[in-house]
Amino acid sequence: MTSATLPAVGSAKPSTKPSAVRPGRIVLYVVLIVGAILMITPFVWMVLTAFKSDLEIMKFSWLPGELRWRNFSEAMQTAPFLRYFRNSLFIAVGETAFTLAVCTTAGYALAKMPLRGGKMLLNYFILLLLVPFQIILVPLFLIVKSIPLFGGNNILGQGGIGWLNSWWGLIIPLGAAPLFTFLARQFYVSLPDELAQAARVDGLGEFGIFWRIMTPLIKPALITICVFQIEAAWNGFLWPLMITTSDTMRPLQLGLAIFSQNPAEIQWPYLMAGTALATLPMIVLFVFAQKRFVEGMANVGIKG
Amino acid sequence: MSTTLERPALDTPRKVTPSKDSRTLLRSQVRTGWALLTPALLHSGIFIVIPVVAVLVLSLTDYSFGDTWSWVGFGNYSDLFRDVDFLASLWHTVLYAIVVIPISMAISLAVAIGLNQKIRGIGFFRTAFYIPTVTATVAIATIWLWIYNPGSGLANGFLSLFGFAPNRWLADPATALPSLMVVGIWQGLGTKIIIYLAALQGVSRDLLESADLDGANRWQRFRNVTWPALGPVQFFVLITSIVGTFQVFDLVYVMTRGGPGSETRVLVLDIYQNAFQDLKLGYASAETVIMMIVIALFIGVGRFLQKADAND
Repeated sequence: MTSATLPAVGSAKPSTKPSAVRPGRIVLYVVLIVGAILMITPFVWMVLTAFKSDLEIMKFSWLPGELRWRNFSEAMQTAPFLRYFRNSLFIAVGETAFTLAVCTTAGYALAKMPLRGGKMLLNYFILLLLVPFQIILVPLFLIVKSIPLFGGNNILGQGGIGWLNSWWGLIIPLGAAPLFTFLARQFYVSLPDELAQAARVDGLGEFGIFWRIMTPLIKPALITICVFQIEAAWNGFLWPLMITTSDTMRPLQLGLAIFSQNPAEIQWPYLMAGTALATLPMIVLFVFAQKRFVEGMANVGIKG
Repeated sequence: MSTTLERPALDTPRKVTPSKDSRTLLRSQVRTGWALLTPALLHSGIFIVIPVVAVLVLSLTDYSFGDTWSWVGFGNYSDLFRDVDFLASLWHTVLYAIVVIPISMAISLAVAIGLNQKIRGIGFFRTAFYIPTVTATVAIATIWLWIYNPGSGLANGFLSLFGFAPNRWLADPATALPSLMVVGIWQGLGTKIIIYLAALQGVSRDLLESADLDGANRWQRFRNVTWPALGPVQFFVLITSIVGTFQVFDLVYVMTRGGPGSETRVLVLDIYQNAFQDLKLGYASAETVIMMIVIALFIGVGRFLQKADAND
């Protein structure tokens, strides 16, 4: 059940046959390279467009006549992209911190604490894993609107807007997904109990054991959770669309969508410049944390 | 909760000796355990369990944000089946799922098998196929909106090299939904490839080699060794794909808003508009319940197919 021991996906493995150049090999490479080109071309096209002038995009062409770097700064001025950027960052960081706090504690309790009905509790979280967000869209909105004592609500959650149009509403409801509790649990389970025993003999309390002994040992899981949660928060769209009414809290994806809403008047170079800036952080994160993405995804898929 | 403290837990694998020390230890472990678990239980209760129950209850009412509301029984449901917008959305979503899921699963498996050979540049290929998956769907949609631009987009520009006449893609009722499907397939490959790749590496090398020695050809080895071994993973990929395709929203919202006419209207878009533009929350909830049922049906069929395949 431990997922920590899975070998890295795509790592070199012993081959049983000498890799001579065979026609099959060449076909394989050609097919894979064509596939890779199909995957990357839209992004290349995005970047190329971002450098073009309004005149150049009237007609189809590949390369821009000159690299208009000022498109990027001008795009930043046509819409408050900087603010959207900051908002997305704030949501991603807040949601990740919240998720780490809630999911590691719960995962540890499920893995290592002798709770009555522990097995049932684990099944409960696994079951919740299957509930798609879109299913609970409508009631979730109502619940967030009726959080007591926030946004002008009374103690019964009536009269105001609750967490709508607030950082709370943007961060808390979608954080701490059961998936991450399950993931953390899988990693804690694989740690030997003797470690905790030894710490207990040394007089460390139960919480101390969780926080100072066990949690530092599941760093790979923590990084995986961070990477996935940051990605989910950064790319979120529907929920912010539903609960934000003012520009001050809108995240990047919402800003992009609003920017592209008027097909007749879209300034494509600016929009592509904005899109490039919006996608870049996640692509960079992916390139750096590639192994985490890949292993995390594979583990969830195979062990989930 | 206090009654649970005195008894040894049933699920613990640890041996509990009835000394006083171990009783104290157990008590403090149970207390810490519940304290650590409570935030997650509260959070999931408030933001997942209550909403799931609430959507069922709301679907039987005519609630619309106002102070007064009443029970309407199954009225919302019978209205829905006369609602052309809903029926169109349901049809388009089902069609989207039926086309996108098998094609993307087949392509992903093929690419994963290719990448599972000993090839150079695995890191490059992995990155290339996975980047669309880590990119926000809104950004993807924006890029493809520009690609499909009838005047100077990449799609027409590229096809014109081969002498094809320009197409109106998203603006043409005949090609709008297929154009969206292409983007859906394209974006969803990465995750599936990675999962298949991990699963392929778990396929027993010994079995493959002994099949090889027995004179099985490539296809026979795939069909009789690899394919059965992939069973559970296939099912996982299938379920996540079903849930994923039924949730399609960002793409449609940015690229077509359900148009032209309602040629690309899908369920979540319809739910969103009923709930937050027309403020018919009860109605939208009934729609959600139907979506849940259809997803469950799809998963049921998937299970059936998998079982039939396993019994072959």
